[in-house]
Amino acid sequence: MKQTGSSIERSILIFAIWAVLGFLGLGVFLEGMKTDIWLVSACGVSVIVLAFVAHITVNGVFDTGFSAGETSLGLGAYGVLGFVFVVSAAGGSLTMADYYSGLTLFGVLAAGFLAYLFTRHGLRGAFSRFHVKPMDKREASL
Amino acid sequence: MIWLPLYGLFYAAATLYWARLSARENGDYQSFFSAAHGLPPWISALVLAGASISGWAVLVGAEEIGRNGFGLAAVLQAGVALALPGVIFFKRIWLLGRHLRISSLPELFRAYWQSEFLTAFTAIVAVLFAVAFAGLQLSALSKLLARLSDGALSPEIAATLLGLLLFGYVVIGGMRAIGYLGALQALLAGAALIGLAAFSLISIGGASALNAGLLRLAADPATAGRFLVSGVVHFTAGVGKQAAAGHEGTALASLSFALALMGLQASPMVMKVVLSTSSPRGFAAGQTWVMAGAFGAMFVFCMAVIGAGELIDPALGLAGLLTGLSSWFSAWLLIGLLAGVQLMAGLALLSAGESLVRNIYKPLFHSQLSRRDTVTLTRVLIGLLVVATVLMQVLTPVTLSMLAALALPLSFQLWTPLLGMTWLRWITRPAVVTGVGFGAAAVLLTEPFGISLLSYLGLDLPWGRNPWTIHSAAWGMATNVAVTLLVSAFTQRRGFGEAAEEARRFLFDELRGSARVRALRSTAWSVSLAWVFLAIGPGLVFGNYAFIDAGGRWVLGLPSLWGWALSMWVAGLGLVWFLSYKMEMASPPAVDVPSYTPRPKLRTSQIEAERERRRNFIITIAVGFSLAVVAALSFGQP
Repeated sequence: MKQTGSSIERSILIFAIWAVLGFLGLGVFLEGMKTDIWLVSACGVSVIVLAFVAHITVNGVFDTGFSAGETSLGLGAYGVLGFVFVVSAAGGSLTMADYYSGLTLFGVLAAGFLAYLFTRHGLRGAFSRFHVKPMDKREASL
Repeated sequence: MIWLPLYGLFYAAATLYWARLSARENGDYQSFFSAAHGLPPWISALVLAGASISGWAVLVGAEEIGRNGFGLAAVLQAGVALALPGVIFFKRIWLLGRHLRISSLPELFRAYWQSEFLTAFTAIVAVLFAVAFAGLQLSALSKLLARLSDGALSPEIAATLLGLLLFGYVVIGGMRAIGYLGALQALLAGAALIGLAAFSLISIGGASALNAGLLRLAADPATAGRFLVSGVVHFTAGVGKQAAAGHEGTALASLSFALALMGLQASPMVMKVVLSTSSPRGFAAGQTWVMAGAFGAMFVFCMAVIGAGELIDPALGLAGLLTGLSSWFSAWLLIGLLAGVQLMAGLALLSAGESLVRNIYKPLFHSQLSRRDTVTLTRVLIGLLVVATVLMQVLTPVTLSMLAALALPLSFQLWTPLLGMTWLRWITRPAVVTGVGFGAAAVLLTEPFGISLLSYLGLDLPWGRNPWTIHSAAWGMATNVAVTLLVSAFTQRRGFGEAAEEARRFLFDELRGSARVRALRSTAWSVSLAWVFLAIGPGLVFGNYAFIDAGGRWVLGLPSLWGWALSMWVAGLGLVWFLSYKMEMASPPAVDVPSYTPRPKLRTSQIEAERERRRNFIITIAVGFSLAVVAALSFGQP
């Protein structure tokens, strides 16, 4: 699919946001886990949240939402990282600071994700994003 | 050490993604060279700033402060010094390019000045930037990459990998990929500079520890000179022949260095971006808020902090800083530096390839070359240039360094033809051509490359590099201006070509300036000259003690010269804003730009003439080479 001029400009901005803020946030989060300081990890999570805010702002400027690729990449990354965290926690290799850092990251991202859905689509609309109706009922409601 | 390859792979994937996207937009080759003149203004502004900062800010600027202190104070004014030429030239060059339907600097020179010499000279400058200037920075990064990979990569392999990545995205996506990716790379480079400064500050122990360390150095008589400009000028024979009293950081060294920096904005690669931009709407904002504002702040704060950290503790140089960090941070910062250097290198490669094929080879030797074949040949040539730069990085680093030093001062000599086209209508064609020729000769005679070459041929010059502590860019420009003025005075009756006459009429008619602008002209001259005098000129000596009280304490809590630089940066930002907007030098013009169509001419077959040129070219190369060998054998030192 050929991108239009404005969608290319949006893509450049999204790339820049995650290359700068995303990787910085990840680095600070990992630094907190390395030094066992929850506050540092929380700062990293804040930077990642800032990246999301910037992403949503850019979406607002270009009057669009998350693309299908962005959604799948985000959910995929969340799932993989969550899996690694659960396995590590189950294996007992995490310190308490690491444990709380992980919970902070996944908790804040999950809460942010729900907040985004509710504010953008409303309570019912957010539910409808995931509730796939059977074909016959979809036709009946038309 | 998993983070460096991981981040490297991410960077390579992003690079190739944008290259592929750009290739599709280009229709493979249709708009390979200029992105169909459609780069959005904000992308151009970022690319121009990013190409200027490249790896230079950290690899050269911070290194200079870290090794020699604040004596070469103009380094800190790089943001404003780089913005001023943009204010002077970009808008008018864009208008000329759009009016004459031209997309590169050599082509513009050929159309306006009708000079093959200027076209060839510009192509040589483009090649110097692509092979030597960018190659030197890539070489430094390759060494850093090898060091951070814990021996997994040798510098040679690192240089090859970086060269391959560069080659890949430039030949696939052309100017469009350089523009799209350049915006991203500029932001990454800026973030890396800020990140490095933050980590340097943390490593030193905070701002108060930094100032305490600097104060300790300033109190020691052996190192106190690092916080002073050592006078206006020293009449020495130059580096390698006679050492300056104190150190080389005089006010004129600063001024001439700033002039050399200004050469970057007159280079064919920077003009390539200007001429590929869709609209001039972004030039004023780009030069004022991006270049002088945001990037200027990075120079005067971040670059200075990194340099000051190294000055206090030499182990906190770039390599030491990166190896001391966690691997995810060092990988992220290195990728940021790499992005800055690759932005400039990619742009330089495209501009060099285009200059040689589209502006030299095709019009002179093979006019029948199709558009598709022109792009293909340019891609091949870009590949050869990448191979050349990688080989020089590995095999001849000293020659690479000497050639790299020529790029900025030679590019600065292009100011006279640019000024002649845009502002000074009385400069004539013979004057420009002779001036640039003499200017280039003066640069060569005051740079190690020319000095070594003559020495090899048995002629030892009585001076070394930077005689009188003045950079070759200023020696070249002094000669260039003197010759241009003299020859212009005697050749005023010579006319211009048809395209040049049309361009002159167009600019004169459309950009006369309002009554308000004319009334402000003397003010503009006054404040500009005052800023140049105080911020990068002889007035820098006032900065030595401007912020030191009677008790010898630093009033601002930091070295007086640094404080002076900060205040001059704020003043410089105001100056750039005033010139851009109030003097309308870079603000968007409220005119339509009609395309000029040259009068139709009867085209004769060029095949015979081109064959003759090719033969003459080969004979000239052979005779030149033979003469050089004979001269070397006769007079050369063993």
